[in-house]
Amino acid sequence: MVEFSNISLAFDDKKIFENFNLNILKGEKVLLSAPSGSGKSSLFKLLLGFLKPDQGIIQFKGKKLNKNTVREIRNSISYVSQDIEFRDEKVVSLMKEIFLYHHNKNKDLNHKRIEDLLTYFHLNKNILEKKIGELSGGERQRLGLITAILLDREVWLLDEVTSALDHELKQKVVDYITQNDKTVLVISHDDIWKETSVFKIVRWS
Amino acid sequence: MQTENISILSILMLLIMLIPILLSNLFLKIKMNRYIIYAMLRMIIQLSFVGLYLQYLFEFNNTVLNIFYIIIMVIAASFSVINSCKLKIKKFILPVFSAIIIPHFLMVVYFNLFVARIDNIFDAKYLITIGGMILGNCLNGNIVGLNSFYNNIKQNEKEYFYSLSLGASRFQALGPYFKQAVLASITPTLASTATVGLVALPGMMTGQILGGSIPLVAIKYQIAIMIAIFIVKYFSVILALVFSSYKSFDEYDILNKDVYR
Repeated sequence: MVEFSNISLAFDDKKIFENFNLNILKGEKVLLSAPSGSGKSSLFKLLLGFLKPDQGIIQFKGKKLNKNTVREIRNSISYVSQDIEFRDEKVVSLMKEIFLYHHNKNKDLNHKRIEDLLTYFHLNKNILEKKIGELSGGERQRLGLITAILLDREVWLLDEVTSALDHELKQKVVDYITQNDKTVLVISHDDIWKETSVFKIVRWS
Repeated sequence: MQTENISILSILMLLIMLIPILLSNLFLKIKMNRYIIYAMLRMIIQLSFVGLYLQYLFEFNNTVLNIFYIIIMVIAASFSVINSCKLKIKKFILPVFSAIIIPHFLMVVYFNLFVARIDNIFDAKYLITIGGMILGNCLNGNIVGLNSFYNNIKQNEKEYFYSLSLGASRFQALGPYFKQAVLASITPTLASTATVGLVALPGMMTGQILGGSIPLVAIKYQIAIMIAIFIVKYFSVILALVFSSYKSFDEYDILNKDVYR
């Protein structure tokens, strides 16, 4: 599904990857476990085409990532970033905007589905009327996750999506993700992800 | 009725009045004297040159020469905009130049044809003065607009990337920064338009009255020019953002690192 071959990447003089290889199969759930600063988030950005490797090839479903495929690949992936950088606007307007985006034309915003997901993740319905700036970190994380779920794409990249949640909610998030058939890559410092046997742990230093 | 000529001696009379300021700065230890002298000298030299070649330009009053002069002014303006925004000249000169000259030239021709209704629409007296006024005001709008747009994208890179990852096309993801840039560049013009005449008399009107026009004519020109400035500013900012964005993003929709100097 996702294949990194011989990736090298350096920022200024600092080498992040040198001949890095990783192959992820369809439906696989992978937990990336490596120390801070070892390029876990960069790996996500490489796959999304927000960073370009100095060397190496990235493939998605057998297609090489390049200028012709980058948009198609980007839009087959739901990316939930560490900070969930939504613009500071009303949640419901943002949701509507997202479903009007060029690449989501064939998708409809299902209000019943949103409400179900809000309830599952312990969020009150009135969050839709709030502005992003009024939300706590944990609320934003769950909203980012809900957006990713609604977009229903094949691959999920989840970067520290449980860091601001309490234990019960962390468990709910992990349960939700382990129980679906998506291909999932997770970056997290929470040990809770390791407690299930579903995740394959990939380590590097 | 003609304006009274001012002799060089009269100008010296005003320059002498700067001496108390220089002394006061020395006394108050405000380190500004060098800059005052530099700025005043530059102003005098630049304006002397402008006066000199405008004199010739008006005497020749040759259509090709007049148009050529306007083009030179727009080139200089484009350089000034790009420099003020600390952007790369090579990347931005063509987009910014086109963004200014297209609405600017159309407006000057339209103005001379339908507003001033003069026989030769390329008459130096109108083309260069009206053109110069519009251009001068356009500069500022473009600087504010481009600065706001590129700084915003740089500062909110993650937000922009997130929009792209959520399915936005490049132009949809840039939309919010685009709107903010247009607002930032147009709002000050609207504010000054709304208060004109209350706190200060506009320069063009004052000049016309000194030059012998009756206030009612001067006012009409002032109204016309303010509308013209607003229209050109609006379109040139939008064009500058659109044209430049074609050159400043790569094939992956990422802002090129080398847009800044």
